[in-house]
Amino acid sequence: MEKLLKQACKEVDSAELFKAKSKAIPVNFEVNRLKSIDISESEGKALRVINKGRIGFSSSTGKDGFDLMLEKAVATSEFGSAASFDFPGEMKRENKKKKNIDIYDEKVADKSIEEMVKIGEGIIERMKDFNRKLRCDVTILKDYSEIEYLNSRGGNFSYHKTTIAYSVMAQQTEDQDMLMIYSSLESGKDNLDAKALTSEVIENLEWGEKIVPVKSGKMPVIFTPKAALVLILSIISGLNGKMVLKKISPLASQKNKKLWSDLLTFYSDGTIDFALGSAPFDDEGVEMKRVPLVEKGEIKNFYYDLQTAGMAGVESTGNGLRASIQSEPVPGISNLIMEKGDVSFKEMIKDISEGIVVDQVLGLGQGNIISGAFSNNVQLGYKIEKGKIVGRVKDVMIAGNAIEELKNIAALGNKAKWVEGKYKFPHIYLKSLSVSAKK
Amino acid sequence: MREIFEKALKDKKNSADYIEIRAEKKETTTIQFQGEKLEKINCSQQIGGNVRVLVKGGWGFVSFNQFDDLEEKVREAIEVAGLIGKEESKLAAALPVVEIINRELDKDFRQISLREKKDLMENYNNIIMKSNSLIQSSNVIYTDRFSTIYFANSEGCYIEQEKPFLSAGFTAIAREGDNVQIASESIGSTKGFVIMERISDKVQRTASRAVNLLKAQPVEGGEYTVILDQMLGGVFIHEAFGHLSEADFLYEDERMSDLMKLGKKFGSPKLNVVDDGSIPDLLGSAKYDDEGVRTKKNYLIKEGILTGRLHSRETAVKMGEEPTGNARALNYRFKPIVRMTNTYIENGDTPFKDLLSGIKKGIYARDCYGGMTTFEMFTFSAGEGFMIRDGKVAEPVKDVVLSGNLFTTLLNIEGVGNDLMMIESGGGCGKAGQNPLPVSFGSPHLRIKKVVVGGR
Repeated sequence: MEKLLKQACKEVDSAELFKAKSKAIPVNFEVNRLKSIDISESEGKALRVINKGRIGFSSSTGKDGFDLMLEKAVATSEFGSAASFDFPGEMKRENKKKKNIDIYDEKVADKSIEEMVKIGEGIIERMKDFNRKLRCDVTILKDYSEIEYLNSRGGNFSYHKTTIAYSVMAQQTEDQDMLMIYSSLESGKDNLDAKALTSEVIENLEWGEKIVPVKSGKMPVIFTPKAALVLILSIISGLNGKMVLKKISPLASQKNKKLWSDLLTFYSDGTIDFALGSAPFDDEGVEMKRVPLVEKGEIKNFYYDLQTAGMAGVESTGNGLRASIQSEPVPGISNLIMEKGDVSFKEMIKDISEGIVVDQVLGLGQGNIISGAFSNNVQLGYKIEKGKIVGRVKDVMIAGNAIEELKNIAALGNKAKWVEGKYKFPHIYLKSLSVSAKK
Repeated sequence: MREIFEKALKDKKNSADYIEIRAEKKETTTIQFQGEKLEKINCSQQIGGNVRVLVKGGWGFVSFNQFDDLEEKVREAIEVAGLIGKEESKLAAALPVVEIINRELDKDFRQISLREKKDLMENYNNIIMKSNSLIQSSNVIYTDRFSTIYFANSEGCYIEQEKPFLSAGFTAIAREGDNVQIASESIGSTKGFVIMERISDKVQRTASRAVNLLKAQPVEGGEYTVILDQMLGGVFIHEAFGHLSEADFLYEDERMSDLMKLGKKFGSPKLNVVDDGSIPDLLGSAKYDDEGVRTKKNYLIKEGILTGRLHSRETAVKMGEEPTGNARALNYRFKPIVRMTNTYIENGDTPFKDLLSGIKKGIYARDCYGGMTTFEMFTFSAGEGFMIRDGKVAEPVKDVVLSGNLFTTLLNIEGVGNDLMMIESGGGCGKAGQNPLPVSFGSPHLRIKKVVVGGR
């Protein structure tokens, strides 16, 4: 890699090479049976250059072809954005509290395919013990990846990382009604509890047996951790340094102002052991750290990569992430952690005389996200009457504006749960939200 | 490529029931403007491939970027397939074709300089940014991609297909105080660069729509008679119905196949739905699908009756039907699965103004932000909405999200227009993590009663 970098520097001011290699093995069960085992190997390089003060970028997956990659990177730099940063030099994790971040588990790397098949079979057996007629799709996945980074200012780092994930989708069809429940667990460490996963799905199946009607109107709504993104997604997007810089974000001028309920505190943190978004450095060599985004309802920070931070005249927060080898780093969330409250889910339910629980929605992220507006079909939700869950709701939509609704949090759950291995949310109980139902 | 494939397939035929190898070479250019700035300009080269193997009914699949040890990949795929296979392998018969398909383009985008592409997009970006003082920002994304797909299987098939693709998406963001509104338009094509040179009207419309949305009131939630334009009608038939016609989702599920039993009434006799991958050069078109099966016109609903569905070779034989040429893979990272190609509702005979008549209070929903379905439930966000009052299109409304149950909604289609339009948008279809797969869809204007519209 060093040789390639030297070759590049004959033509440009400075250069950065990012190399990723991975091997993922998903074991897939469909309709209660082992259906396929895939082996997905990938390898690629991305070259970012600063040439006459402008950024150029190109990528390649082949083994050779560096010349062509360099030629394209130089060609794009002719029109590229003016660089407002330089590549970081020597890379060391400064944070004394958290020098090492554990993201690699040998046990995951060494897990055999046969073992993964057994885990999947176990999950399906437990689901079928509950109800023979269920259709279950299960995926057991392990992933191993290697990252190597090098730039012409001497900055370099490399790490390897493991991921393991169990996911289950249970489906029950009766006449024209389909009940579909999904759930998943993800971690970097071989510590997933398949039993906890199935128990959660089974509890939901029990609650969902009966369909009950709902009347349209404003009512209390509890979002489970799985559904919390409905409320948080537009906030995440509004706190993105790039959206702020471009003044697209309605939160752009709201820093240090009290916007939301005191209960609302969350941060981005790429240093949590075995969380999926964790790494010693972000994808452009800046140390990962804990960045408070919202504290007690007040915006504390926006999150940045190097280029955006340079343009905004601030420091990168270590949030420069690449969506793939084909993409340049942009501001992104490593892991998002929301602080929990002190009310249990049970107590929340008890508190409601008529309302709903939202667990899965259709259309997440659809529509005018940045404005805060959301409008979703409640794909899986439950009706609460007089402090008890009485059944499942159907043909129901929720709508509102997240920026407004988060002002009226009645309570947060006293247990936070990992979602997608990179978000940690408690239950969120809103005093009142608009619910529309089919007549 | 053919020799490399043949060498890897040689002597393996006894250890597997079926083997296929696919390779893909592609070059991609992306240019993006955001606000006044050029946000991204980059080029990538990719080469990759995969091996898919069937042993006793079990599939093994290996994908990779390195071709050095292709024979080893075949062995690996056979090994994992062996862990699954416990029954007899079955695949519907397909003719082993040998064919090389090259594409001639009207103004080949590979011959256009990076500067010319950038200048054209910059010009479009300026149209948006300068159209109105309320325009806060823009997003213009141009992509072109030239792929060559190589395919061979153990039955003697060898096909090379060139697949050009180019797309442009335009987003305008208008802002007045805290009110931020977004409008988007996009275009996609498998043809030459010429198509990119004639879209300034479309770009202009994106900007004016965003500004108009600032004045629109949020729609009042409830149940309405709704008219969908060609875009939304197309998205609806693709998302809500089309996905349920994909046999991979049906064949192992008794209850679902019962719901989707051929011969069942799905709509009024005015309703005809087609999927056709053989229409020349649309986004979902190809002479052969990714299993080497010839594409064709398939009726899904004829005169309101469910008459067909979409198949791969595996689903066809399992359901005792013919392959339809619908096995498609997003790229070399993925297995071919059952996908739509170009899906549309055929023309009816009601002019647009007659569809409107008699609606006291309804909604005219145009364009689409996005749509999602899970089995029979669907939800779509309209890009633009208007109230219909006393049979006339009235004031604009925003945040129009339509939702419902497919089966009842299809039966509730009470009017089919006579103005079918095929939509070639820059986005694509997503399924099982394979997103965005180029497809096209279309419809005439549709009138549907009793649609739930979310709102505050």
